Amino acid sequence: MTAYLANLATLVAIFGILAATLNFVVGFAGIFSVAHAVFFGLGAYAGAQVALQLFPDALLACLVAAIVAGGLSLCLALPALRVRGEYFVAASLGLQMMATTLFSEAKAFTGGIGGLVAIPRPTVAGVEVGVLPLALAALALILFLTARLQRGAFGRTLQSIRDAESAAEALGKNVAAAKTLAVAFACAGAGIGGALFALHLSFVNVESFTMDQSVLVMAMVIIGGTGTLWGPLIGAILLLSLPSGLAFLPFIPATEVGAVQQIVYGLAMTLLMIFRPAGLVGDLSKGRATA
Amino acid sequence: MTGPLIARRALLGTALAAPFIRPSFAQGSDPYVIGTLFPMSGPNGEYGKLFTDGAALAIEHARADGTLRRPMRIQAEDTQALPQQGVIGMNKLVNVDRAHYVLVGFTAVSKAVAPVGDRAKTVMVNGGAVGPDLAGLSPYFWNVIPLAHLETQAFLPFLIRRNLKRIALVYVDDPLGDAILGLLRTELPKVGGELAGTFSIPRTAQQFGPVAARVRQARPDAVYVASFGAQQAQIIKGLRDNGISQPLIGYSALSISSVTSIPEAEGVIFTSQKFDYTGGSEITRRFATDFKARHNADPGTYNANYYNATRLFALLARELERENAAVNGDSLRATLLRVREFDLVGGKGTFDDQGNMSAEIQVNEIRGGRVVPIA
Repeated sequence: MTAYLANLATLVAIFGILAATLNFVVGFAGIFSVAHAVFFGLGAYAGAQVALQLFPDALLACLVAAIVAGGLSLCLALPALRVRGEYFVAASLGLQMMATTLFSEAKAFTGGIGGLVAIPRPTVAGVEVGVLPLALAALALILFLTARLQRGAFGRTLQSIRDAESAAEALGKNVAAAKTLAVAFACAGAGIGGALFALHLSFVNVESFTMDQSVLVMAMVIIGGTGTLWGPLIGAILLLSLPSGLAFLPFIPATEVGAVQQIVYGLAMTLLMIFRPAGLVGDLSKGRATA
Repeated sequence: MTGPLIARRALLGTALAAPFIRPSFAQGSDPYVIGTLFPMSGPNGEYGKLFTDGAALAIEHARADGTLRRPMRIQAEDTQALPQQGVIGMNKLVNVDRAHYVLVGFTAVSKAVAPVGDRAKTVMVNGGAVGPDLAGLSPYFWNVIPLAHLETQAFLPFLIRRNLKRIALVYVDDPLGDAILGLLRTELPKVGGELAGTFSIPRTAQQFGPVAARVRQARPDAVYVASFGAQQAQIIKGLRDNGISQPLIGYSALSISSVTSIPEAEGVIFTSQKFDYTGGSEITRRFATDFKARHNADPGTYNANYYNATRLFALLARELERENAAVNGDSLRATLLRVREFDLVGGKGTFDDQGNMSAEIQVNEIRGGRVVPIA
């Protein structure tokens, strides 16, 4: 049981990183990206290649993953500078679809649909370590940085851009630089999550970095509470542990297990959004429809 | 804190903990846990039921025959055919349910769970995915289905005899498609055939009009469809709707009902393991008869494969019970490598050092929604 819970906790920590970093651009900067899985994937492939081609040092893999994902975040930042709202959602959707195809086709880097197998277990300074402590440390670091940035001048600039971009620009805020930095930070964090994911699973392929994954991470942010520090983590815990918990129900017939789980899972999510529309940690006064 | 609030929280806590509380069994009557990692929901959910039906019948037969001293039970985990869900499910099967043996399907899930099973020394058996890259994933990862390239290799003499020499290949750009492409490129010319054209399609593609137009230009004698799941029916329909009248051919993935039930699939020819349900061995006939009685339908290839996978466990565990040896990954593997040949549905199944089964291949045709062996 301990090993099972440790595995689940590792995935929760990795998806907590993803949700927290997505929340940084969605909740604080108002950039609604549905392409977060792209940077998760870039980090995963970069980290996996470091482990396969060089040596499986977790810190090096995370560093390379952060640089690759953060560097390529310009692909997301450039449209974010030109369009807003639903137009940006459409632009990021295009990026997600393009990246999924590239992940399938760039076989030398990604292994194509077959993916990369036999990724060695991670080490730190030559000693083999589990991914759980690394993922928890990375999650803590990202939450700490998020809290610091949120409370500082940079965070206030982002929130002013989110609430009234034109007003922020009129007040002399460098909107382009702030948005670019926010996206780079979030994507680099997603890249670290991806590297840890690859090292944890020892296998990665494109099926883990599709639109569905981006939507799942967005759901974690919304259900937990957009623009809050702890909400995305709560959302990650809920969305990963609920289906896992349902798997323990002993009375579901083997051939119906999937359907019953999906119905219960969907119902729980719907009820949650009816009664807590601003998310579990979000402001209760927000999100409700007014007559 | 008020009384009702405490009571409500206590009730909530109990409800949350309830799924994790398990009854304890005496060791001697503990069932053997056969874990299944199949897609039970989502677009590939159709396969999960096919796989499970085969395994469930094998358990019923083993119980009726008294093959084992201890009962077997299925512990199902839904993977949705996704690697991440597969790893979560495999960890649960290995660490919580203490599965003795795990049945898996789908290439990406198989690859993702193989390291987990390898570390836990738990035997994993694939009876559904046919990607050649599944061979040798782990000493504990076995295949009870001939991998796709072996099926295609055995198909070639039949095609030449039928004068289907110019083959156009419509294939999914993945290891399975690549393997079939590579084999047709090298082996088809050796038997006097020719690859008339190759048309790669994305796994998620649903419109095949443009592909059909290019296939028509290639003027093939037959079109080989190398895909899987619901997409196969869309390809077949797309090709037929766009004027492709040549025979459509493929491999065992075409045996699912979403393909066989569409009118456009009439006459589709494909390979599978050899299963002679009327004149075959007693085991084969019993499987076919009981399956039909239970499900009111003829068994398909996947039903038989997962029946065989589960029956293989029963046969191996019986050997170990006779020796009063523990049933675990190492002892199961040692017994497999010692015995090598087993009486399974379809005939003798022989395993190589990597745990890959070789079996006779037959050629089938879809006629009136049914799969009819023709060679």
